[in-house]
Amino acid sequence: MTMKKKYAIFPGCLMPTEQYAYELSIREIIPLLGIEIVDLEGFSCCGEPMKSVNQFLTLYLSARNLAIAEKDNLDVFVPCAMCHLALSECQHVFENNPEMKKRINGLLAAENLTYTNKRQIVHTVDLLHDHIGLETIQQHVKKPLKGLKITAHYGCHLIRPSEIGRPVDSENPQKIEAILTAIGAEPTTCPQKLDCCGAPLLTNLPESALTKTGQKLQAIQEQGIHGMVDVCPWCHKMFDNRQTKAGETVAAKLAVPVLYLPQLIGLAFGLSPDALGLDLNLSPVEKLQQKEEA
Amino acid sequence: MTIVDLTSMGEPQTDLKKELNARLTKLQDEISDFCFQCGKCTSGCEAHKLLELEPHKIVALLKRGLLNELVNSDIIWTCMSCMKCRERCPQRVAPVDILFGLKNMAVASGKEIPGKYTGMLQSILSMGLIQDIQQATTRTNKTVKRDELGLPPLSKPVDVTKFHAGIMKIAMDKV
Ligand code: SF4
Ligand code: SF4
Repeated sequence: MTMKKKYAIFPGCLMPTEQYAYELSIREIIPLLGIEIVDLEGFSCCGEPMKSVNQFLTLYLSARNLAIAEKDNLDVFVPCAMCHLALSECQHVFENNPEMKKRINGLLAAENLTYTNKRQIVHTVDLLHDHIGLETIQQHVKKPLKGLKITAHYGCHLIRPSEIGRPVDSENPQKIEAILTAIGAEPTTCPQKLDCCGAPLLTNLPESALTKTGQKLQAIQEQGIHGMVDVCPWCHKMFDNRQTKAGETVAAKLAVPVLYLPQLIGLAFGLSPDALGLDLNLSPVEKLQQKEEA
Repeated sequence: MTIVDLTSMGEPQTDLKKELNARLTKLQDEISDFCFQCGKCTSGCEAHKLLELEPHKIVALLKRGLLNELVNSDIIWTCMSCMKCRERCPQRVAPVDILFGLKNMAVASGKEIPGKYTGMLQSILSMGLIQDIQQATTRTNKTVKRDELGLPPLSKPVDVTKFHAGIMKIAMDKV
């Protein structure tokens, strides 16, 4: 028997404190696909939400979290695109700026931590596409999602900046589309594919943030696409949780089913909607389920 | 430590300000060589249509040394950090990083921080995360928390005092 590959899950802030559907569906499908998720104590915010306030704080917090995973000699699975960028950027700085690495490690000593920069960092998309593989995913499909036109939202923080190494292409990412095909759905692209969800402005310009969300959803709705999948708790908070409000900003009645990618995969695996946290999606996901049954 | 130490012009911030200034000066020097004002950054900017942010102008203004004006303007807070400008700039100027530097400088100068940043920072200082466990609403209008969904305990700093000590150093030290 081969050993299961293990990853420490780095949950961040948003997923484990409110975006439970993402965490539930990840914890359902990833172990099924042969990966062991290990929970570690003591993580903090990745630091990215503080980047506008103090970039050193961001770097320090990212390094601190990676150091915690390093103590257990584990690679890190980061489901949030924002966290994934913060940790990857920290790794990039540590690689290219030995002086900064030394300074941050000097500070980490206060918590008896140190980071040597040896952890592999994966996100949901590359974990599924590159490490688990399309073939394995396909083997688990019990209910192929035939005829479902789904569009993929990758999220800015996952695709850019390519200079520091991102899990997908920055201008024409295709890995989610490949996964959608593997589960029998019909990946459908749209000109708004790379448009931002608006979430980074939620902190100081919430109205504009929602307008951004509304504009993208409206375009998707007008193109007759059946639904959208996302892979970041911030994007999902905007597109799913706040969809009605986002619609108000663009004077449209929006009804676009939005699911986390692992939720849709779980449905194709024949898992129960409850186990996948579908009850927590506030967009009209029932429309997808009806289509599926029809 | 209070939030003031991290966000105001208090004594400990002097070194941080110096460091930020050095960073911005470096950006200023480098961009004056590289940015040729092609406007590609602005053409793809997520905040451009909606909020009139023009990253190529931010670069031009910094090039002319209008640092204080930029630090004190509201426009720097409209960036959505989509990083398209960094990705697409033919000269590798990265306006988004200039904007982060400017915002950091505004904070270190004691300017009032807009929006919920202060609240998030306070939460990180007190428990390590930007927020504690929230109630989520279901489709049938019930409210649930993570333990009721069978999710494992929340991972957060175990020894908050020690965690604090580390962050405190960032405010006090040069980093
Ligand atoms: S894309 Fe780059 S070179 Fe062109 S204006 Fe923007 S910052 Fe300057
Ligand atoms: S990162 Fe900011 S300045 Fe750059 S393109 Fe995006 S919104 Fe515009």
